[in-house]
Amino acid sequence: MKAETEIQSTNAKDPAVKVDSLSIRFMLPQEKGAQTPKKKGLIQKFKKRPKKEFWALEDVEFEVQKGEILGVIGGNGAGKSTLLKIIAGIFPPTRGEVKTRGTVAPLIELGAAFNPELNGLENIYLSGSIYRIPRKVIKESLDDIIDFSGLRQFIRVPVKNYSSGMFMRLAFSLVIFFKPKIVLIDEVFSVGDEAFQQKSFERVLSFRKENASIILVTHDANLITQICDRVLVLSEGKSSFLGGAEDAVRHYRQLIQSGEGLNKEQKPPPEPESSRWGSKEVEIVSVDFADQTGQIKKEFTPGDYFEARIRFESRLQNKAPVFGVAVSTIYKLFIYGPNTLEADFPKDIPSSGVVRFVIPELPLMEGDYLFSAAVYDETLSKAYDHHEQMYHFRVLGDQKKEFGSVKIRSSWKLDHE
Amino acid sequence: MKNALKEVVSYRELMGNLIVTELKLRYRESFLGFLWTVLNPLFFLLVLALVFSQIIKFQMDNYTIFLFAGMASYLMIQQTVLIATGSIVNNQGLIKKVSVPKIIFPLANVLARFVDHVALLLILLLFMVYFRMDFNWSLLCLVPLVVLHFLFSLGLSLLASVFYIRVRDVQHILSIGFQAFFYLSPIIYPAGILPEAMQKIFLFNPFYYFIQSFRYPIYHGLFPPLLIWGVTIFLTAVVLGLGLWVFYQKEKDFVFQLS
Repeated sequence: MKAETEIQSTNAKDPAVKVDSLSIRFMLPQEKGAQTPKKKGLIQKFKKRPKKEFWALEDVEFEVQKGEILGVIGGNGAGKSTLLKIIAGIFPPTRGEVKTRGTVAPLIELGAAFNPELNGLENIYLSGSIYRIPRKVIKESLDDIIDFSGLRQFIRVPVKNYSSGMFMRLAFSLVIFFKPKIVLIDEVFSVGDEAFQQKSFERVLSFRKENASIILVTHDANLITQICDRVLVLSEGKSSFLGGAEDAVRHYRQLIQSGEGLNKEQKPPPEPESSRWGSKEVEIVSVDFADQTGQIKKEFTPGDYFEARIRFESRLQNKAPVFGVAVSTIYKLFIYGPNTLEADFPKDIPSSGVVRFVIPELPLMEGDYLFSAAVYDETLSKAYDHHEQMYHFRVLGDQKKEFGSVKIRSSWKLDHE
Repeated sequence: MKNALKEVVSYRELMGNLIVTELKLRYRESFLGFLWTVLNPLFFLLVLALVFSQIIKFQMDNYTIFLFAGMASYLMIQQTVLIATGSIVNNQGLIKKVSVPKIIFPLANVLARFVDHVALLLILLLFMVYFRMDFNWSLLCLVPLVVLHFLFSLGLSLLASVFYIRVRDVQHILSIGFQAFFYLSPIIYPAGILPEAMQKIFLFNPFYYFIQSFRYPIYHGLFPPLLIWGVTIFLTAVVLGLGLWVFYQKEKDFVFQLS
């Protein structure tokens, strides 16, 4: 919760986080090679052991504006987590500085402040005070915190008796309830079950509406392209790219591939392994979402007309391709995956055109959704072009007190006995 | 310096919680609970009082109060420092994972001890009633004197907790040192029973001044003389200043040294 420097200024355009030529050095103790135990006298013990310098970060610079989501990707040991820990104030930088404006909520090392002997309630107050949340404020949102964690019946049980999932849920619920201005996230959405992940993720995204800034560290390139405004690519402690999400992911993949040292001069790298594959006999050129007037948009409200426009080019002859789509929650809970094989859809397709997948009344509730589009052969065994969760749309809330992801047509009845 | 103080104040709720947690957990499963804090030194005191007044037969009025006053001063420093030595290392889980000013931990430890010791002082007042000691205004000196004891212990604790990170032998050395000084200081015996020449040695013992500072108001019913005030304030300033200086010099390295 502590920043290196907290600036008191009212200039609205100033960045929320400013990282300036940041470097950090670790001194790693080095074991000397073969050393006979006899020689290790008392005096030698007091001599300084040889240390090896290791620069975990070198001259990293960036700014995060208010309301912006900055993604950070990089391989293992690239310095991602160290970077977050410096911003959170846990590590002091060796050179350079970090300036933050407003309260920082580090969703890293969740539950670090918990005392296992204390019960859930006591730990809420203890952790709260570590983040300097006044007791009064915690008291006010206590019910919300407990409800969000779903641990009401265990709240007076010492947390040493919690399962690891319960532990993390409590920790997470606590941190996200104090309206931070800056949120630091380190692969945190592995907390609890899928429903809880979804709920927490939406909660974090909602901070952005209140103009909070988010720094998100992850390995998940999909997640990054869906929600980040800009992305920083770290490579061995150095900033290797900073820019738009899609360019950054491309850069990152090239980095991985060149890092493997295999045929560096080969043709352009193959398409990313995870999100797109297929023989390209039919190629999906673009996917857009639109309303009934054909207006392209990315945000809908429940009950809206929704249409996905899949533009394709085909080199097939005398073969009927099958188009399919899939909708999942941003936490990859698969909701629905229809295809044209089961529908009334023409067998012959032109060499280029648009396939429109229409949902007259969108039955989805508030949240972010991932969209996949694909073309397969008739037997559904060969992919022509598959775009796995490459697209994203958002459903805004309609202020009704209903919960969940999918609206199921239903009604309530009461019988008297 | 001002900023550091401001920062610590902004964490006062955390400090309160750490102190309450420590006290709560220490006695969670015990019947007598907080009473043990007082009973423990009390039994030690009664044993010593019995041995020295009945068996060795010191010829002194109200030996129990004489002993109690000296012990209250010495234990206040000894127990506090011995426990607070581990305050950084024992909280390394937190220090490596969240960002709080590190001085919170020794401070909370020292404060928690002082809750105990103030309780002990209250018992001492009961003893004074029982032994029909003279109650007068000089007893008010105990308030600033306890504060001096607190700051002196804090200074020592800061130094000890920093050195303990690198050299774990510190705990044992301190423990032996405090034990030796318990007998080397005029706690169970009055300074006057030694020959004049040897009494001068006490003047080089910092604990001597603290012990005497308690004895004046409690045992003699007198205000401590200026020399006692001067030396205790001087020692406190030096030790606390040094402790703070070393602590803030090294604070940045803690997270790298703990493992």
